[in-house]
Amino acid sequence: MGCWQFWVLTAVAAAFGGLMLVQRSLYAAAVCLLVVLIQAGGIFLLAGAPLMAFLQMVIYAGAVMVLVVVAIMASGPGGADPGWSPLPRPLVGATAIVLFAELAWAARGLALPSGSPAAAAAAEAHIGAVLFGSHVLATEAAALLMFLSSLALIDRRSQP
Amino acid sequence: MSAAPWVASAALFALGLCALVLRRPLIAMLLGVEMAVVAVAVGITTTAAAAGDAEALASVLLVLAVAAAEAVVGLSLILQVHQGGRAPETDSLRGLKG
Repeated sequence: MGCWQFWVLTAVAAAFGGLMLVQRSLYAAAVCLLVVLIQAGGIFLLAGAPLMAFLQMVIYAGAVMVLVVVAIMASGPGGADPGWSPLPRPLVGATAIVLFAELAWAARGLALPSGSPAAAAAAEAHIGAVLFGSHVLATEAAALLMFLSSLALIDRRSQP
Repeated sequence: MSAAPWVASAALFALGLCALVLRRPLIAMLLGVEMAVVAVAVGITTTAAAAGDAEALASVLLVLAVAAAEAVVGLSLILQVHQGGRAPETDSLRGLKG
């Protein structure tokens, strides 16, 4: 895969991440995050991890974002933040740029290992064996955590 | 492999951190947290796919699952705050302030 596709996805993800930061409407911010999640799925796909891209789309961009939008609808009228922003926007932008520059400088010496698509495919095929083999406790703990989190949705006031 | 995934991870994490710190609505803060988690997932997944590391990919799967559970719990708490008659903003949550 050419590098320019990565840069396009990166630029779009960063642009919509910045838009999410400055949106007054929570609906618009959620849509901007949705675009970011889709771009992340595209990056996964280009990196040779199609299973991760699929799960990113289904779990994050699908289920989680729908839940966020429903919560925005249920949390009050308008879904807007009339008090935004408490700080001047140039300061907000400068803060994001400084943080990004700092992280980029910290990662300047990093280099991805030169792998092959076959290695990535073999790794994805081995995920099931890892999840339910050496990492079965972590997998079961994550499943239990998801079950317990679903109990948080039960409204005790609606019970007789 | 270019440095673009690292740049994406750094940019998204920085923006997510800014959203968490600077925004007042609780849902906006939660969106910032989710963006930061996605940034970490991008960095780990691209490296793991390039290195053929199945354990790292499995850890990213667990991170996605836990992040989904965290979003569920966070949103339910935000709705509880709203149903308690308070605005779902950080300024309205001053119960522990001494």
